Amino acid sequence: MTFLQPFVLLGLPLVLLPVIIHLINRMRHRPQPWAAMQFLLKASRSSVNQQKLRQFLILLFRVLALCALILFLSRPLAGGWIGWAFAAAPDAIIILLDRSASMEERMPGGTTTKREEAIRLLTDAAERYSGRSHLLVIESVHRAAQEIARARNLAEPSLSGPSDTTADLPAMFQSALDWLVENRAGTAEIWIASDLQRSNWNPSDTRWSTVAGQFESLPQSVRVRLLAFDTVNNANVSVSLKEITRTIRGGNADIRVALDFQARGLTSPSTPLTVTLDGAQSQEDVLMESQLLRWRHKIGIGKKQTGGWGSFEWPADGNPRDNRVFFVYGPELTLKAAVVTTNRSTARVFQLASSSILNGTREPAELLDPRDFGPSVCTDKSLILWHAPLPQGEAARTLQTFVEEGGRVVLFPSGTLDASRLLGLGWGTVETAAESGGFKVTRWEEEEGPLAKSDEGLSLALPQVDFFRRQLIQGEKNVLAAFTDGSPFLTRTVLGRGELYFCASAPDEQWSSLSDGYVLVPMLQRLLLAGSQRLAPVSSYECGEIPRAELASVWRSIDGQTRDIELEAGVYRAGDRLVAVNRPAAEDDPMLVPSAEAEQLFGKLPVQMFQEGRQRSDRLQGEFWRVFLFGMLLFLMVEGALVLPPRTGGSKADRTAAGKGPTTPTSQGANA
Amino acid sequence: MREPGLNYLDQKVLGKLMAQPLLARHAMEGSVSGHHKSPHRGSSVEFAEYRNYVPGDDLRRLDWRVLGRTDRYYMKEFDAETNLRCYLVLDCSASMQFEGAHGSKLEYAKRLIASLAYLVVHQGDAAGLVCVGEKAVHEIPPRRNPAHLKLILQTLEQTEAKGETGLPAMLHQLAESARRRALVVVFSDLFTDPDELLGCFQHLRFQKHDLAVFHLMDRMELDFQFDRPVRFVDLENSFSLVTEPASVRDEYLNQLHRFLERMRLGCHEFNSDYHRVATDQDYGTVLSHFLGQRARVGATF
Repeated sequence: MTFLQPFVLLGLPLVLLPVIIHLINRMRHRPQPWAAMQFLLKASRSSVNQQKLRQFLILLFRVLALCALILFLSRPLAGGWIGWAFAAAPDAIIILLDRSASMEERMPGGTTTKREEAIRLLTDAAERYSGRSHLLVIESVHRAAQEIARARNLAEPSLSGPSDTTADLPAMFQSALDWLVENRAGTAEIWIASDLQRSNWNPSDTRWSTVAGQFESLPQSVRVRLLAFDTVNNANVSVSLKEITRTIRGGNADIRVALDFQARGLTSPSTPLTVTLDGAQSQEDVLMESQLLRWRHKIGIGKKQTGGWGSFEWPADGNPRDNRVFFVYGPELTLKAAVVTTNRSTARVFQLASSSILNGTREPAELLDPRDFGPSVCTDKSLILWHAPLPQGEAARTLQTFVEEGGRVVLFPSGTLDASRLLGLGWGTVETAAESGGFKVTRWEEEEGPLAKSDEGLSLALPQVDFFRRQLIQGEKNVLAAFTDGSPFLTRTVLGRGELYFCASAPDEQWSSLSDGYVLVPMLQRLLLAGSQRLAPVSSYECGEIPRAELASVWRSIDGQTRDIELEAGVYRAGDRLVAVNRPAAEDDPMLVPSAEAEQLFGKLPVQMFQEGRQRSDRLQGEFWRVFLFGMLLFLMVEGALVLPPRTGGSKADRTAAGKGPTTPTSQGANA
Repeated sequence: MREPGLNYLDQKVLGKLMAQPLLARHAMEGSVSGHHKSPHRGSSVEFAEYRNYVPGDDLRRLDWRVLGRTDRYYMKEFDAETNLRCYLVLDCSASMQFEGAHGSKLEYAKRLIASLAYLVVHQGDAAGLVCVGEKAVHEIPPRRNPAHLKLILQTLEQTEAKGETGLPAMLHQLAESARRRALVVVFSDLFTDPDELLGCFQHLRFQKHDLAVFHLMDRMELDFQFDRPVRFVDLENSFSLVTEPASVRDEYLNQLHRFLERMRLGCHEFNSDYHRVATDQDYGTVLSHFLGQRARVGATF
């Protein structure tokens, strides 16, 4: 329990005042000489215990009343939501409900999900304000303020049902601000229920400071109450699809997938994964040897020419919403590459290394001069190799568009010092290795990317490649492979759906032994395959990020169930077209925003944090100074009732005193 | 300056009371002729009985008329009348010092005693005074001499209340020491063991003494009206008790009532006068009622 006015607690010793006053009063009792002491003693003896108990109770209730008063003034805050039941009603209560996929995680020790628990708590709390405050809901899917007549309407599926979308908390906060500004509401409270997932909150987003500043400038009082479900359910494994490609080998086609498994707790070493391909189910065992696993799998589809769909499903765990991923694969495509170079000695190497194999015939890459490069070249290409000075102007824009559409571009050094930049990257100085030995690449990304291990788990022979010359890569980059001295060999920049690579050396005798092909061929073949998605129609979306143009079509779930493509992951069909919708990768982010950091995001707005650790049915609400106020009044009333003297009017005592006491001389005589 | 003791006498009150004699309810044994019946035969106007003549009888009491008609010798006897010996017993324990709004019980009792002593002496009877504290501090035997009244008044003036009561012991002693029948009038709040006290009364009555009890109570003691916690200090010792009067009032009055009733019924059982007197009453009225009641009831023996 914390206190908003903790200094008031310094007055706690004052609770002893009644006891002190009582002791002083005992000393100050008016002495009364008394003769009929024998009767008084008998009377006191029979009532002394009751009197002592009564006095003790009076003192106790006085002390409790003072204690309650001090606690009331110190404005205590509880860890739960108990105080809300007694807080003054604001004009408007805006509920920001995070209904992202991660909120479907079950509460530790319970069976309900964080979203369901949040709805229960919010409904209970809001129920007390029904009729007194405007209740509005801004849920994470549509982010539009919707007023509800009663708190229990919050449980309607359209408002708070589960979804596979992500949540954009800054945008929801902005929506709350917009509603307040537009409707000129009075005092308002913003109740936020979220699991504080970092990818949803995005603390580095500049909108936070902007919106918080606007809130501070509002004339009305706004308070934020944050119900944080930041306790992680450790019994959970999330599955996400990282790569899916269709390859052909020996006339048979394969679907190659790379899945990421992310476990939070200990899992059984071998777990059956349900694989669904075009409706047929099979099982594959997955060995979870660590908490992070990239699992590569190949599904043969034989000589099938057309596309299809499938899914991978992990057994039920702490969050059933993140156990399944869906995919669709397209028909067989012809893969083509283009080599843009001015160096004739390496052109042939590039042509052969990036040639495509279709139906058993090899098709070398198209060779062209940089001056001939244009949009028409890119039309049917999935990979472009650029071994020339960096493109400028229109060529650079064409290349950038190519990458954004999903193509892959690899730039090799021309050997000339060039100040120009492409996507912030450029070439630096050329370095030549000493005669005793060349540069060596010893560290590279082997889990994914063009230099990943082979299907058999074998590493590329990168250390065996000799590099005699290299040209430094300048700019902010993501290094996939580096020389021994830390200088990058291969960098990657993601742009749109595609990727742009800078390679620090070239397959030229003067530069390296890359022309041997042990590294260059698999690297370029992988990029050629990865770039093929540019040529295939868009086949997958993240849930909640589907373009409006696509939503105009009538999408039906492939499994016949009624699903909303905007809310739920799955495979949907519109005519002949298949689309896989998966929950956003951001929902697998295990990082949470610490509560202290979350509070700072609201600037100077008063924030009250409630952290619900585990599912509990008896949990109420937080700031509960009203409890002490009512408690104090109750104690004072009880104390008052105890202090009141016993009723004497018409009592036996009075009758005795009046009837038996001498009043007139004629009535006194007892003479026989 | 008035003489000591005269403060307790009020001429107006005495003037009203003088018209009513103090009569004994039982036969008295006095030393001289008086207004009160005696257990012995003597010369008075009250015919008692006839009896046969025996040689030696005084021939003056022979009923000559009966002798003339029947030729038989009958002696005509009359009741003797004697004077009254009155012991006025004052309880001088500290409890009598309790002082309410109308003065202390002791002062009230002194007024009663002074007035009664005056009346007794004035009607030719003998009045004595016994002041009882923890032991008898003053004991003045009954005398008929008017000068004796002055001694009684002076003694009353000097008497103070203190210590625990020695009333029961003193009454037992008085029952034994008074050789002749006497009227014993007790002025006390009777705050002692009721059984022991009633035993004293029984002893006095057994010795043929006439007994009258003035049970003196203060109005505060009877009503017990207090509105806030009070520290009650025992007058007879230093014991004190802090209590909430309202909470004990019922039980206190109940206990007091039982005590008062027991004393009243005890006196009734022993055929004695019992007068419960509150100190806020006019003492002249109290004495007038006392005298009038004794005059109405008359002597029985």
